[in-house]
Amino acid sequence: MGSRVYLLLTLLFYTAGAVQVLVHAATRRRLLSLTTTAATLLGFATHTAALALRWNEAGRFPAVGLRDVSSFLAWSLVLVFLLMWLRSKVDVLGLAVHPTAFLLLVVANLSRPEDKADPYLQTLFLPVHATLAFLGYSALFVAFAMGVLYLIQERELRARSPHTFYYLIPSLEGCDRTGGRAAAVGFPLLTLAIVTGMFWSAAARGAYWTGDPKEWTAALAWLIYLVMLVARHRSGWGGRRGAWLGIAGFAAVALAFVFVTLAAPGVAAAR
Amino acid sequence: MIVVVGVSHRTSPLALREALAFPKETLPSALDELREQAGVEEAMILSTCNRVEIYASGLEDPAPVADFLAAHHGRRQDDLIEYAYRLAGEDAVRHAFRVAASLDSMVVGEAQILGQVKEAYELAEGAGAIGSALATLRHRSFAAAKRARSETGIGRNAVSVSSVAVELALKIFGELKGRAVLLVGAGKMSALAARQLVAAGATASVLGGRTFEKADALARALGGRAAPLERLRDELARADIVISGTGAPGTVISRADVAAARQARGGRPLFLVDIAVPRDVEPEARDVPGVFLYDLDDLKAVSEANLRERRKEAVQAEQVVEHEVREYLDWLRSREVAPLLAELRRRGEEIRRAELEKARRRLGNLTPEQEQALEAATAAIVNKLLHAPTVQLKEAARDGRGDMMGLIRRVLGL
Repeated sequence: MGSRVYLLLTLLFYTAGAVQVLVHAATRRRLLSLTTTAATLLGFATHTAALALRWNEAGRFPAVGLRDVSSFLAWSLVLVFLLMWLRSKVDVLGLAVHPTAFLLLVVANLSRPEDKADPYLQTLFLPVHATLAFLGYSALFVAFAMGVLYLIQERELRARSPHTFYYLIPSLEGCDRTGGRAAAVGFPLLTLAIVTGMFWSAAARGAYWTGDPKEWTAALAWLIYLVMLVARHRSGWGGRRGAWLGIAGFAAVALAFVFVTLAAPGVAAAR
Repeated sequence: MIVVVGVSHRTSPLALREALAFPKETLPSALDELREQAGVEEAMILSTCNRVEIYASGLEDPAPVADFLAAHHGRRQDDLIEYAYRLAGEDAVRHAFRVAASLDSMVVGEAQILGQVKEAYELAEGAGAIGSALATLRHRSFAAAKRARSETGIGRNAVSVSSVAVELALKIFGELKGRAVLLVGAGKMSALAARQLVAAGATASVLGGRTFEKADALARALGGRAAPLERLRDELARADIVISGTGAPGTVISRADVAAARQARGGRPLFLVDIAVPRDVEPEARDVPGVFLYDLDDLKAVSEANLRERRKEAVQAEQVVEHEVREYLDWLRSREVAPLLAELRRRGEEIRRAELEKARRRLGNLTPEQEQALEAATAAIVNKLLHAPTVQLKEAARDGRGDMMGLIRRVLGL
């Protein structure tokens, strides 16, 4: 199995990246060294190859079953991280992204592939909906991470005695801006994912809205981000409230994700 | 050989450093005196409030320089014995590198020392006391200092009160371009911090009390405007960074003032620096959300934490400097051996040429092929014979074994 080898290789690269980021954080070196960046890029390359091979092997878009889902999620997270990093050079993001990508890859490597053929998955909805949703999750994860970092840095500054995080985390303004930017990217993706999900549901089950938990949590998340973005747009500064909304929104998104994974959309429709 | 004799904040009390200091204007004559009396070829004197040091070259032993240091200031050598360090060779070089890199400074990583060392070299150069030995020491130690500074964080975190305030402002606002600084009171320390903030792109305004002229003058110097203290609440609402340092006996900025300003600011953070004693800002203002209030003690706590960070980084910097010291010492030694190697080559070639001449006379006319073969054979013999001693010499130089150089010199009759 070709994809299996590449997925394992990817795990090795991401492990190297995660270990380096954590060691550098502990020793206050620059978080993303050249080797970390190289490991991330190599990992991303083997990861892309693994996904392509897996797509071919499974005969459908690789976003069904725990193995494919964690792998694809990690891939989109690393992609979003690389794009965000190119734009704003926020190294500290690696502290959240690298260990997360590593954990997702561990889960992916340990899970068995889901190979049951399902007619409902042989549709264009799967790649479109899944890609939008996963990229959206990743961007919103970045907003969540920046929110957490904002709150930690704010606590450090208010405590008036600097510890590790004071040195590690960039300015409050920097966390705020990066988090806001990530949410501004994630929100439209989430919106489109919800819309395509509704069309898929209509095509498969004949109803746009069936009222199951994943739809409610997704709607809640969407509302939270809407409030957050409107408030940010008004005052130009998300601040503490923005950070909390980013965290709450992501909690709702994560919950929706769990519901979706528990009953993969096509599988659920088939029952 | 390079020697260093001196006293520093590590080894001696301030009173002694004061007694041994060289005022700038006496330096040229002191350097002349030093070269006459101590028999050194090159010399440099570094005299700051934390150290008085003499760097010299052309001696094997630092004692004459130590004698000069004591005698020049009318002291006996015994007065210095337990305070002064006398270093020669490798130790002297290492010391020079560590001083330039600010690793021997009271505040590790402070940036002034390199400037002071630079100035000391320039003065010595002006007095004609710098030759090739100290010139390369200067060049190499500066390069090492710059490497240590750029590759480690010894100079990274702010230590002085005003620069800590600037660092905190940066930690909150990211960049200072376009941020509004409000000075309450036109004190010296406020002005110092404000100048750094304005240099980074912030705009300033100054609130003055009874001495409004002073506030006006400072505002003009900072390119901002002045306003009376009664306008405090309006100005607070507009400011991002407030530096308060009046001489007032009681509270100048109350919690209510800060809370009111907060209301008008729509959630943007407010950074208050209170450098007044007694304090200007009511300490309870700290509880207002989005407000970061630092008094003098808080700034000092940050400064101490930063200093601890610098000391951690200094471990890395020591390694960088040590590496540069080694490279420099290797270079020095390879330079010692270079003339001997050239001599060895020259002798070999000389003998070869002479023997070749003799052989030609005996052999008569040779074909070009024979001529070529003879050349190649003799050259190969010389090269092969000299190969081992050349390698040995280079190794001996790298390991600092001067005895080997003498031995080879004698064996080969050079």
